[in-house]
Amino acid sequence: MDTKEMTQRLTDFIREQGPFDKVTIENFSKMPGGASREIYSFDCAMERAGEVKRRAMVMRQDPGAHNISSNRRDEFLVIRAAFEEHVPVPEVFWISEDPAVLGSSFFIMERVEGETLARRLLRDAAYAKAREVMPAQLADILARIHRVDPVAHKLDFLSEPGDNAALTEVQRYEANFRQLALEPHPAFELAFRWLLGRIPKTPRKTLVHGDYRIGNVIFGPEGVRSILDWELAHVGDPMEDVGWMCVRAWRFGNDRMPVGGLGTREDFFNVYERASGVPVDPEAARFWEVFGNLRWGIITISQARRHMDKFVNSVELASIGRRTAETELELLNLIQIATS
Amino acid sequence: MQDRPTSIELLEAAADFVDREIVPILDGQRQFQSRVVANVMRIVAREIKLEDPFVRSEVRALSKLLAHPEPHVHSLDDLGKVAFKLNEELSEKIRTGAADSGAWRAEVLSMVRRSVEDKLRIANPRYLESDVALRKEAIEQD
Repeated sequence: MDTKEMTQRLTDFIREQGPFDKVTIENFSKMPGGASREIYSFDCAMERAGEVKRRAMVMRQDPGAHNISSNRRDEFLVIRAAFEEHVPVPEVFWISEDPAVLGSSFFIMERVEGETLARRLLRDAAYAKAREVMPAQLADILARIHRVDPVAHKLDFLSEPGDNAALTEVQRYEANFRQLALEPHPAFELAFRWLLGRIPKTPRKTLVHGDYRIGNVIFGPEGVRSILDWELAHVGDPMEDVGWMCVRAWRFGNDRMPVGGLGTREDFFNVYERASGVPVDPEAARFWEVFGNLRWGIITISQARRHMDKFVNSVELASIGRRTAETELELLNLIQIATS
Repeated sequence: MQDRPTSIELLEAAADFVDREIVPILDGQRQFQSRVVANVMRIVAREIKLEDPFVRSEVRALSKLLAHPEPHVHSLDDLGKVAFKLNEELSEKIRTGAADSGAWRAEVLSMVRRSVEDKLRIANPRYLESDVALRKEAIEQD
């Protein structure tokens, strides 16, 4: 389908959804994005009873008709629930699961302008103010995410870990690791043993974002604008998001600041506690930080496998396979600090 | 035998060209990907230089740790296969709890750290250097 045909079909779709008398789409273009999804950007003018409304929009589409495991609807509903609970997310508008429209499922949401490159946030002078305010903003927003009630918002499709969220996650990633790794990784084996011996009891079960890190935030010079990438959302231990936020890879070398290269764990925990009313158990947070580094390590293996198994030909993904050792070193550091 | 330049010299020349001449004229994804290309070439150059001594010392240390006699293999290829097998055996021992505590745990931790550090000396030496500096700082603070 060419761009003209796509724009036409999208125009018709939006007109029916309104319904509007007239819809005009301008500046339709494909955005550079991940291989797992297609993202298009456009400006939309919607006319009803002589009144015209203009919105900047993006469309997220499944990569192809052959992708059976479409979860666009789930993502759409989770973002809408977060929006209703005043989490800064793009406003979502419409969803279609009818392949007759554009060939595969898609949804349309507000386009939030801003920057997403974490390296710019950590280095550019323009973001000095953002660097100052963002750790507290991110802790506060995370507390709000964890307040979204999956039952009240009918998010019953979300995967639910049962009584032991931590054990379930460790076992899931261990299974992934055993299936994906092409060589032995004694450092990961040590990490798995360490985790299995310290499974925290999970008193709270909440909505978990699942990929909460600075790379998934749209920000401006003033701070956070929007939280992105909700496709890994699930129900689980809220401390999972806290630990993931502390993973070393998201510090981009700014290692004195464990939380996304921006702030300290203590400050992050304090704001989170005040905003959520729930104390952070540092041992549970440490468990999930170790788990997060291990999870990222396993993801580096799976990224490299996508190149090696010829799903894509990508020097970037191939080279990520040699970053696994970075996570191994961090795991050894964390394990040795915790046992000495 | 091959003529000079060596494979390392060739790779470094190519990586220098990409960094100096290609990266500055590109932007966005292409610029990023060409940085990755130069980085990959430098990884390969370091591997050609360092992998032989690294894998020899790894096989020696793993054999000692697992109480095996040192194997009589010489080619880099065979050494790699032996290192793979020994790391598998070590992994199995860790998985079944043999390194959960005690004196052997300390030996395992320092052995595994050495292997990981050697991987980083090839894949990302700057990461290793900054990690060593940070740990030193942390010890001095205590």
